[in-house]
Amino acid sequence: MRISHSIAPALLLLAAGAAQAASVWGFDDGSVSVVAKKSGDTIKEKLSQKTPLLKPVSLGSTDTLKLSLTAKDNGKGKRPHQAFLLLQEQDSGLEAPFPLTVKESGKAAVQLSHKDLPIQLLVAAKPLKASVVLASFGSAQGLSTPVFEVKIETDANVPSPAYEKPLRYGKKPEIHHIFRPDPKNPPKVISLFFALGVVATLPALLIGWISLGGNLSHLSKAIGTAPLSHATFLGSIVAMEFVFFMYYTSWNLFKTLPIIAAVAAVTVLSGTKALGEVQSRRLAGER
Amino acid sequence: MRSLFSLFLFLFAAVVSAISASGNRLLVILEDVAEKTNYSKFLGDLESRGFQISFEVPKSESLALFHLGERSYDHIILFPTKAKGLGPNLTPNILVDFMNAQGNILVALTSDLPTPTSLVSLLAELDIQLPADRTGLVVDHFHYDALSSPDMHDVLLLPPPSATTRPDVKDFFGAGAGRDDDIIAFARGVGAVLGSSELLTPVLRAPRTAYSYNPKEQSEVVDDLFAAGEQLALVSAFQARNSARFTLVGSAEMLQDKWFDAEVSKVGEKKAVKTFNREFAKRVSGWTFNEIGVLRVNWIEHHLDEAGATNESNPKIYRIKNDVKYTISLSEYSWTTWNPFTLPGDDALQLEFSMLSPFHRLPLTLDAAHSSDSASAYSVSFRLPDQHGIFNFLVNYKRPFLSNVEEKNTVSVRHMAHNEWPRSFVISGAWPWIAGLGVTVAGWLAFCALWMYSAPVGGKRESKKTQ
Repeated sequence: MRISHSIAPALLLLAAGAAQAASVWGFDDGSVSVVAKKSGDTIKEKLSQKTPLLKPVSLGSTDTLKLSLTAKDNGKGKRPHQAFLLLQEQDSGLEAPFPLTVKESGKAAVQLSHKDLPIQLLVAAKPLKASVVLASFGSAQGLSTPVFEVKIETDANVPSPAYEKPLRYGKKPEIHHIFRPDPKNPPKVISLFFALGVVATLPALLIGWISLGGNLSHLSKAIGTAPLSHATFLGSIVAMEFVFFMYYTSWNLFKTLPIIAAVAAVTVLSGTKALGEVQSRRLAGER
Repeated sequence: MRSLFSLFLFLFAAVVSAISASGNRLLVILEDVAEKTNYSKFLGDLESRGFQISFEVPKSESLALFHLGERSYDHIILFPTKAKGLGPNLTPNILVDFMNAQGNILVALTSDLPTPTSLVSLLAELDIQLPADRTGLVVDHFHYDALSSPDMHDVLLLPPPSATTRPDVKDFFGAGAGRDDDIIAFARGVGAVLGSSELLTPVLRAPRTAYSYNPKEQSEVVDDLFAAGEQLALVSAFQARNSARFTLVGSAEMLQDKWFDAEVSKVGEKKAVKTFNREFAKRVSGWTFNEIGVLRVNWIEHHLDEAGATNESNPKIYRIKNDVKYTISLSEYSWTTWNPFTLPGDDALQLEFSMLSPFHRLPLTLDAAHSSDSASAYSVSFRLPDQHGIFNFLVNYKRPFLSNVEEKNTVSVRHMAHNEWPRSFVISGAWPWIAGLGVTVAGWLAFCALWMYSAPVGGKRESKKTQ
């Protein structure tokens, strides 16, 4: 078979000479038809190898597209080895071949419907570009020409086929972590207003006490009776508040606790004396 | 410390890789050892690049890819053989084991002989499909060599591969070649169809008018088409997850001497051109045997990137919302030397900071200050997410034709300690409460003084009470 392939064109060449050397493949009687299964309607368009059809042919989900032509080598009907209908997705350039069944006379035909198409072509947004390729062994120049476009119509009632792109190694989209929002404060004016309101309760309290007759008249008497214990007792109460203040600002618990213990001991020891003096004043009817 | 470490790595690498980044023991399997004269230029090129070549026939008793569990060879070339199988020493299983042990394989097929079943099974394992009956021939009636195959059209003339389809992939095979002057001749070869695996990459695709047929059964009519057009991979590359490489060259003939310096002529062109095959064969074998496209991580460093913080390298623990800087140093092996790795134009080296899923995925930029003549450093500064846990600095750089880089450094990210928050007096919303504290303290002291030292206003009423 191989020999015949290589010899036949060679013989042709010898026989026909230079004219045959420029032999080219082409086709005649080209037509594309779409048969709707439901209605049985047929839309048929003539094809020419010179100019592609202007309007795309639409192919519904139940329709069948039929392409038929007669392949010719220099005007004579002949069977080419390669007779393909190529459908190309225009965005990616992806192409699927559909071989035509060719008879000895060069009559060729192919039928295709949605189920014959690879999924990548089915989900194409743009019309598919259809080209016819006719070529064979030997010196005859092949034909590869766009002939028409096919618009794939998907049925609205049928869910469109899902296509997931295969994994390819490459850079991935960037991710930037979205941080939680920082805690928010009310306007400073409001905080300041309420802080001042709280501070204002202290003078209000003192004024209240004074208006009810509060005074410090016995201070000199108490200091006179028990000067040391009163000074240390009142001092230890102030010192305790100071310890708490230091704990709030800088000290840790382990530094604070022993100092609290020491201050508390002073409070208890001086307190017995100081409060004893207070009691003696009460017993004397002076409170 | 870092420089010492990289110096050690460099010395180590220099000892191991005199020619290839992974050893120079090359095994060539031929039908008949005498056949090596056909490939003398190809094999001579390999030898001149420093490979130690051993020749074997598949059925040889002494042939063993492993000795005591270790690879006996670093690389294998399998040229076409006549037998249906490859014998007990080259079963698909052993070949897969060889790749699992990071051995590289180059397989050359031919349409003149059916492919051994052992190879068909191996290729099926790698998701590469060959034509039915192990026989196929790629022809193209539009792009054939008018000098050597004016009738059969089975010597395809192809432009060298270009990076136009994927600008983010490094062009190892066609770089520097003119698309019109440098032509690859693909003679009497087998085309394969690649599965959708991400590990497979076609190096050389067939033109859109090419197709594959069985010359024995389909010489008149192509009744059952295997594949056509760009779906046919003529030379394809597979790189396993362990960076072992496998290359399938559809035409063994394109590696033979006669095509290295042959002159070819495109259809319709009178001018004869020399083929690009020799350089292409060098690049394909060089890629397969780890001479190009091999990446090495020299060092990785990350540290706290905050003013006033100690600049300790690679700490085990960070705090949430810390600013950190991550740097990775990469080198690329190119034929004989380690060079700084430069990213292909459209690509990005990305760092993921991940706990289960990535919280950050950021591109690393070239850090010239830490780069050298043989390594380039890439770094990125970013703020850690506000989520504590065990995180990874992950650089997962897997690209076609480059060996895989997957570097994971685990760190803990702790939450804020109680004394790392802003003090309450800084928070304006806390002012009323702090004022309340102060007022309570002052009020308590005033109450103590008043209680102890206040004299009665109406003395009589008080004395009544005490009675």
